[in-house]
Amino acid sequence: MQIQPILAALRHHKAGTMLIALQIALTLAIVCNALFIVHQKLAHLSQPTGIDEANIFVINNQWADSMSGPQIDAQMQADLAALRQLPAVHDATASESYPLSGYDWDDFITMKPGQVQKTTDAAVYFGDTHFLDTLGLKLIAGRNFRADEIAPLAPHHDTVPPVAIVTQKLADKLYPNGSALGKTFYAMNPAPVTIIGIVQRLQRQEVETWSAPYAYESLIFPRRLDGDGTYYIVRAKPGEMAAAMREAEQALIAQNRMRIIDPKDGVLTFAQVRHRAYDSDRGTAILMGIICAVLLVITGAGIVGLTSFWVGQRRKQIGIRRALGATRRDILNYFLTENFLISGAGAVAGIVLAIAINLWMIAYVQMTRMPWFYVLAGVVVLLLLGQGAALAPALRASRVSPVEATRSV
Amino acid sequence: MLKMTHLSKVYRTEVVETYALRDFNIDVKEGEFVAVMGPSGSGKTTFLTIAGLLESFTGGEYLLDGADVSHLGDNARSKIRNEKIGFVFQSFNLIPDLNVHDNVEVPLRYRGMKSAERQKRIQDALERVGLASRMKHYPAELSGGQQQRVAIARALAGSPRLLLADEPTGNLDTQMARGVMELLEEIHRGGATIVMVTHDPELATRAQRSVHVIDGQAVDIAEEPRFHAHAEHAEAATTQANA
Repeated sequence: MQIQPILAALRHHKAGTMLIALQIALTLAIVCNALFIVHQKLAHLSQPTGIDEANIFVINNQWADSMSGPQIDAQMQADLAALRQLPAVHDATASESYPLSGYDWDDFITMKPGQVQKTTDAAVYFGDTHFLDTLGLKLIAGRNFRADEIAPLAPHHDTVPPVAIVTQKLADKLYPNGSALGKTFYAMNPAPVTIIGIVQRLQRQEVETWSAPYAYESLIFPRRLDGDGTYYIVRAKPGEMAAAMREAEQALIAQNRMRIIDPKDGVLTFAQVRHRAYDSDRGTAILMGIICAVLLVITGAGIVGLTSFWVGQRRKQIGIRRALGATRRDILNYFLTENFLISGAGAVAGIVLAIAINLWMIAYVQMTRMPWFYVLAGVVVLLLLGQGAALAPALRASRVSPVEATRSV
Repeated sequence: MLKMTHLSKVYRTEVVETYALRDFNIDVKEGEFVAVMGPSGSGKTTFLTIAGLLESFTGGEYLLDGADVSHLGDNARSKIRNEKIGFVFQSFNLIPDLNVHDNVEVPLRYRGMKSAERQKRIQDALERVGLASRMKHYPAELSGGQQQRVAIARALAGSPRLLLADEPTGNLDTQMARGVMELLEEIHRGGATIVMVTHDPELATRAQRSVHVIDGQAVDIAEEPRFHAHAEHAEAATTQANA
């Protein structure tokens, strides 16, 4: 009912109106996109790896002595045998990496030798016959590696193994119209690789944005490491993690003292691994959250300030309106409606700006398209913030006495 | 139409009680045009604000259009102000952000009147004050006399039973003041009850009756000798009870 005269009156306060609407627009645009990023980061943080995280720990083992490949291979087999015999240990394996370890051995995968464009990009793990059991991976089709398929890495560095186990996601990507089991692919090598097993899920080592389109597209080659360093991945029996961690390090030292296991972060539980892997995401989410909170507080304070200023400036006018028959509620509604109109105009501009920022981020920083929900949520938050911030000054205005109309100033 | 009996208005601070009105009695009949005079600080504006339900009073009785308004709530007082009372202020009190049309419309909107009815009343009221052609003008674009005419149109648009005018010509030159007074007289001839506060004895003579307010009390013109006896002491209208 009061909209037309409120709009008419606002035309006389263009500067203040435009400034606060602009502030609301900017806040909306930034808050929408920031909330979207925060939500993405939080979703990222809780992505499952597909492994038995609760019972797994990782030992970063570096050789202190110069050893040949065969010597390292022999020592590692002895180490693994010692680890597997520990009472608190369920199983153990060695690999060059593990999910969330932070660096990625990835291969371009093609369906034909010499294919120019890759079909996809797969994260590569090296594992032995204990890899699936140690990580707790669920084999949903095919079989595990046989012992005779596991070969040391160094002598075969320029070739690919003839067989591999792949994740369901990779299998579906390579063969979307049927089972991938028994079928082949090429991993940057003219020799085909046959898929002998499919595991339900195995997250990549990387959590960086570039790898998001290839999430969970992983494969395991039957290889034993024989280089300078390796990760021993150990799965403890349920409830025996602490004992297994203590025993494992002692067992390795007992096998051979010529190794380096960093006392600070040489042995990590998987919970620690996850925490470290998502440090950047968590930091970004916290920073974005703080930016949102600060922006909302500043905008709220701006609205409180402007509305208070207008109420102070218009005391006489409020008194006149009261003298002419306005109730307290009419005055309250007047200021809340005025704020709603300004916030609404700011929100409309903010929607356009939010979409523009999102499109820019899609083009330049590998951001995905922001769902409408975030824009709507941002609009609701800003409108509620506006009404909440205007409420106290509007209530003050509603308490202005009609006798103000008779005051000379 | 307006009857106050033994009415008092006291402003209290922690240490002082100030009587703005004390044992104030007045009876304005329907259709009367009454001028209220008195020196500064005598309490005449306080009388007008109480008469217009702009503020409450401390004691006594006030009957407006036959109804006791002593204990009305804020909403009921707003409704009476809106429907029964029209105000004309010395400083016009137009809303500077609104044009002439929207200013006249303000009380009608608070009455919840339909748009077509509002437009008709605005048109009629502005024609009556001779400013129908200035609807889109803003107050700052009008002379003082024109602004006061808009204020009168705003009061008339609501068809009030009682028109309260507080020094309606106080900010106008002689010619404009004459025009405004002629307008008020015309409105009175139309049947409205008018109570006008003024300093100007000449203007007061154009009312049917004058009431003088001295030291917070009303003295009818019939008691003029008493008024003169008190006039030289009329500046102070306060009593310090707890000084």
